[in-house]
Amino acid sequence: MNRFIILCALVLLLGAALPALAQDMLPYPSDLTECEVDLSGETVNIFHFGDLSGPYAFITQPIVSAVSDAVLYWNSHGGVCGAELAQVYEDTGGNLEATQSAYDRFSSEYAEELDLLLLYGSGDGELLREQLAADEIVSFISAGSIESLYGEDGQTPGWLYASNPLYINQFGFFCQFVAANPEIFPDPVIGFVTWPGAFGMAGTGPAARDYCGGLGVPVLAEPQIFLPTDSDILTQVQNAIDSGANILYSNSLASGPALIASTLVDLGMDEDIKLAGVNWVMDTTVGLLGQRVLKANGLPSVDGMFGSMPYLWWTERDNAAVQFVTQQFNANKRSPAEQNIAYLVSWGAVDSIIEATIRTVNRVGSLSAVTGAEMRETVESMDYAVLGGLYQHKIEDGMREGTLNRIAVMKFANATMSGPATGAEDALLIDDGAGGKFFLPLVLPLTEFMPVPQLRG
Amino acid sequence: MLEIIKKYEAQLRWALYALGAALLLLFLADQLAGKKAARILQTLLSGILVGGVYGLVALGIVVINKASGVFNFAHGWMMVVGGMIFWSFFSVSEISLLGAALLATATMLLAMSTASFSRLRQRRTQLLVLGGSLLLTALMTAGGSDWRWLHALSGAFAGAMLTGLAVERFAIRPLIGQPLFTAVLMTLAIAEVLHGVTQIAWGTVELNLPIFVNPATGSRFQPIRLEGLRELLDGLVIVRVELVIAFVLALVAFSGFIIFFRYTSVGLAMRATAEDQQLAQAVGLRVRVILAISWAAAAFLASIAGVLQGGAVGLSLNISLVALRVFPAVLLGGLESISGAFIGGILIGIVEQFGTLINSSQQVGTNLAPYLVLMLVLVLKPEGLFGEKRIERV
Amino acid sequence: MANIKPAGVFDTTYEDDMAIDRTRRDKFWKNLAFCALLLVPLLSASGPLGLGLLGDQYIGLIARIAIYVIAVQGLNLLVGYTGQISLGHAAFMGVGAYGSAILARELGFSFWLALPTSALLTGMLGLLFGLPSLRVKGFYLAMATLAAQFIIPWALEYPLAGWTGGTRPLSLPAPMIGPFTPYARDSVSPETPLDFTAGAAFIVDVIAVELTAGAVDSARIDILQPGGAPLPYGDVNMTVTRDAAGNVIALRYIASKAGAYRVQLAGAAEARAEVRRGKALSFATDTAMYYLIVPLAVLLMFLARNLIRTRTGRAFISVRDNDLAAELLGVNVFATKLRAFFLSAVYAGIAGCLLAFERNSISLQMFQLDLSIEMLAMLIIGGAGYPLGALFGVTFIRLLQEAAIPALRPWLSDWLPQLFPFIDAVNITSAINPILFGGALIVFLILEPRGIAHRWELLKAAWKLRPYAY
Repeated sequence: MNRFIILCALVLLLGAALPALAQDMLPYPSDLTECEVDLSGETVNIFHFGDLSGPYAFITQPIVSAVSDAVLYWNSHGGVCGAELAQVYEDTGGNLEATQSAYDRFSSEYAEELDLLLLYGSGDGELLREQLAADEIVSFISAGSIESLYGEDGQTPGWLYASNPLYINQFGFFCQFVAANPEIFPDPVIGFVTWPGAFGMAGTGPAARDYCGGLGVPVLAEPQIFLPTDSDILTQVQNAIDSGANILYSNSLASGPALIASTLVDLGMDEDIKLAGVNWVMDTTVGLLGQRVLKANGLPSVDGMFGSMPYLWWTERDNAAVQFVTQQFNANKRSPAEQNIAYLVSWGAVDSIIEATIRTVNRVGSLSAVTGAEMRETVESMDYAVLGGLYQHKIEDGMREGTLNRIAVMKFANATMSGPATGAEDALLIDDGAGGKFFLPLVLPLTEFMPVPQLRG
Repeated sequence: MLEIIKKYEAQLRWALYALGAALLLLFLADQLAGKKAARILQTLLSGILVGGVYGLVALGIVVINKASGVFNFAHGWMMVVGGMIFWSFFSVSEISLLGAALLATATMLLAMSTASFSRLRQRRTQLLVLGGSLLLTALMTAGGSDWRWLHALSGAFAGAMLTGLAVERFAIRPLIGQPLFTAVLMTLAIAEVLHGVTQIAWGTVELNLPIFVNPATGSRFQPIRLEGLRELLDGLVIVRVELVIAFVLALVAFSGFIIFFRYTSVGLAMRATAEDQQLAQAVGLRVRVILAISWAAAAFLASIAGVLQGGAVGLSLNISLVALRVFPAVLLGGLESISGAFIGGILIGIVEQFGTLINSSQQVGTNLAPYLVLMLVLVLKPEGLFGEKRIERV
Repeated sequence: MANIKPAGVFDTTYEDDMAIDRTRRDKFWKNLAFCALLLVPLLSASGPLGLGLLGDQYIGLIARIAIYVIAVQGLNLLVGYTGQISLGHAAFMGVGAYGSAILARELGFSFWLALPTSALLTGMLGLLFGLPSLRVKGFYLAMATLAAQFIIPWALEYPLAGWTGGTRPLSLPAPMIGPFTPYARDSVSPETPLDFTAGAAFIVDVIAVELTAGAVDSARIDILQPGGAPLPYGDVNMTVTRDAAGNVIALRYIASKAGAYRVQLAGAAEARAEVRRGKALSFATDTAMYYLIVPLAVLLMFLARNLIRTRTGRAFISVRDNDLAAELLGVNVFATKLRAFFLSAVYAGIAGCLLAFERNSISLQMFQLDLSIEMLAMLIIGGAGYPLGALFGVTFIRLLQEAAIPALRPWLSDWLPQLFPFIDAVNITSAINPILFGGALIVFLILEPRGIAHRWELLKAAWKLRPYAY
């Protein structure tokens, strides 16, 4: 079961299911503001940096590819109001020292041009928070921590804007879902089984526990922590179960959720104990890594795992944005391993940067007159369907993050591709070309986009 | 007062140890009082099984230390490289003939010229290189994907040989005559370079290495559920088959190395080299060759451990971090002791699991307990449980 | 070789032999170099002269190099001079950083008090982890420091989470001198707010507001920043004093941004607050921090250099070269090692504290094992056991990372994938750093294990011997 071949086949399948792909290039899906100023001969830079070689690199690496594909697309389609688009980026390797140097270099070399910076890591956001405010530079980040968006007291909105809801709000949203669905979650008790560090611990906290407890969903006070290198987490999972948990929630990614799921199968408790997590657990990687262990019904261990889905996913093929990005992905012959959240969402980030730039230029009259403060005004007032609906860019008053979320469940396709399989008998099994077979992961939204509760206290 | 202390020093020390042990037991009894018997047994079992892999990693570090006195900080990255090479042959259906031939030839060239490059001028060596490369290439590529275990094993073997020999040849050998401190730093530098090379060649994406798969079902092996003991222990105890396989493999590797060191001439030569390099050279042992063999052997052990770990959790750069968790095991068992490495690995595995059982919300098991054990060992018994006690003034 | 003197200069006294600056020319060059270093910020665009000859980023870069020079010099005292390997130096920097942050945040220490206190605290902890040197040496001792590298961050993350915030970042105010001119006293009531205009970068306005009379319970002091938004009480530049019931009775704010501020009082009509305003010298800008850090680094380098020619320093070297012989000569080996551990940790603590205040924000991520290893590599490349080793090593590695790698990257990403088609250009970007870093270390270990400083000494000797090289 080679992962690359699996993903290759996945791309092929998506391609086959999308007749549009076989035809001409799709139009750009989003409804951009008309240019009132001609920017011919000028350059609009997309600045971004983040961890491309450190611990989360396997998620964030495709961002570079997505931005470079987007830049290529725009430049071959006449640019932004005539201006050429350029990509300026730096790898920080998860090292804050490198982040600081990269920021110093960017803000000094591009003192005039740098009004908007794309970041990935919460750590980077926390480090640069005060400096961005002092230098008046707007920053977009995918999912920031409370400290990076609102400062240490959680009350001071800064210059960073996240497109996803805060992890703690995602958790509160999940509690709402649990409380509203007692038939799926009878007598719910949530236990945290998660990675260490700022990301792993970001979903929990006293405020979240109080909120969920108020909804009738108690949350265990002690989180169970495991490391990405642990090969056996039976002890952690059993600790949580012994303390009464029947829902395990995880802020981890890749092998993390897959390991919890397989441990539940090993214990024979995969029917009794539900598994859930942040938006990152709904990534394809997890669906494929989860196939190492099959449940009693023959489906992979992560079948039925719940998670947040604050944007559209590759499998929601009736959406123009997803169709367009899929087509671009194939046209640029991207490695199948890059077909993850980061690639999809980064196209959206570039789109929202372009929209914000056009709006600001229209207001101030020229590209050189754009400042960080002007950009900020645009970003805060903009209510915009990114790429025509990938997610909504809307910053509520005093808020710094996206507030809409959905709960989705991970399933595996049935043989007719008409819906999820109920067991190994009717599941779609794809030959990986090396003697193995794999199931095709599906991400099925269970709710509409709804506002998340505000739990940052 | 001081004289009394000096007179009864040994007794006093034992009394202190006993007091410490009693306090530790009391603490454990207090912490474990509320736990079910099944949990305690399960934790012990998990600790022993996970510790088997730690022991295997520790063995690789000990082998190099035994032969050359160098503590290898690059072992974790040698695990990653070994696992990745295995993956390349195991999971890719069309193996590139050119790539395999290049790997085989490079390995044979380095292996045959261990003593010196001038060896390559001899006709006999040239023939050996040619024959060996052809054989290795054939093993790595012959047959279809049904033979992928053979491909992967021979590929990983060649890869490990190449890594170990190249590291010894180009980074460690030029340091002969320098203080050991320099060689230890060199292993840190090698770790960085291997890190970069792995990233260039395989990227940072987490790879799936399905080696613990039941061919009949396509799923990982079902764990053994001790249902019969459920009543007795007030809970279910399970034994994960792949961990047992890993443990058994580790045990086999250990026995192999113990036999190798005791009963083969190369093994004896290695021990002699470790004892005194100059003396070994004086009595006619080829110290360079022996050092090269020990690095290749360590790389081979690292590959096995990398494959086992990658098979259990998925193959990513994070695997290198396992070596950090094994350092306490190496010191606990004793830097020069083969059986000590194994027992140290298992003890650290148990310590980790019990630490996690008692308090996993503060990472006591993984981030504190092993290093506290390390500090205790250093203060109480620096040579470790089975290491050689050296007469040395501090 | 190192002590080669110009022809005609002879040591006739012991003092001559031990002098740091043997000739007036030595002294001249050193002073000139120091003055040049102090003039560097004047070249930058944001400096007082606004010349713009040097990018602004280099001011911050030199300051950060200076911080790491202090840390690596501490390592040099332990590793280079005393011969004890340490793999836990980053953890000690972390103690300095977190120590000063906690002192400043929880106990209201100023930077000037937090710096020595946290340095001393770090030194004490260094002593604690140096204790195993009573029983073990060499590699085993390195393992004890490795344990420190894991145990200290664990302690900061979990048991001390109440102070350190665990894995969350901690923010800090910039260092400040003053206020030295408490010239204005005003009174504020709910009807009459106070408006004032704050100055710019170096000299800032410090404002202290204290409720004097009236309903403390219902009154609320607010400071409106330029633009009109009220500042939150959690702002990094604001210190809040509360009474027993938790009401804010006084606050102190450093107006770091230029512009119009307003102090206003809400609550009952008879509520009054007294306002005192003063000017203070702030170290919030990169240039100001430069003038704080660089002279301190030079001073600490000088102190380390001086230490080496004292009794303690000679004891360090004798322990490194031959501990048995040292003991025979009457050197207390254990005490000497402990002294080295202490001093090394003090340097690390100072560096950590400076880093915390330079960044205004610290997190546990900054003090991991890889930083310990990086600092060790810097020391080896620069030259362990040479007074200038730390300076050369840190500068070399930083220049490699800041200048060489960004320059090489586009070029390598271009031709490597063409040569080896299976390589993805994205992977090259991220792999260059470890490869070049490890590669540089390998090259130095093989070709010049004594480091750049040794080459520098050879160069100096060759210069002094010219034109007769032998």
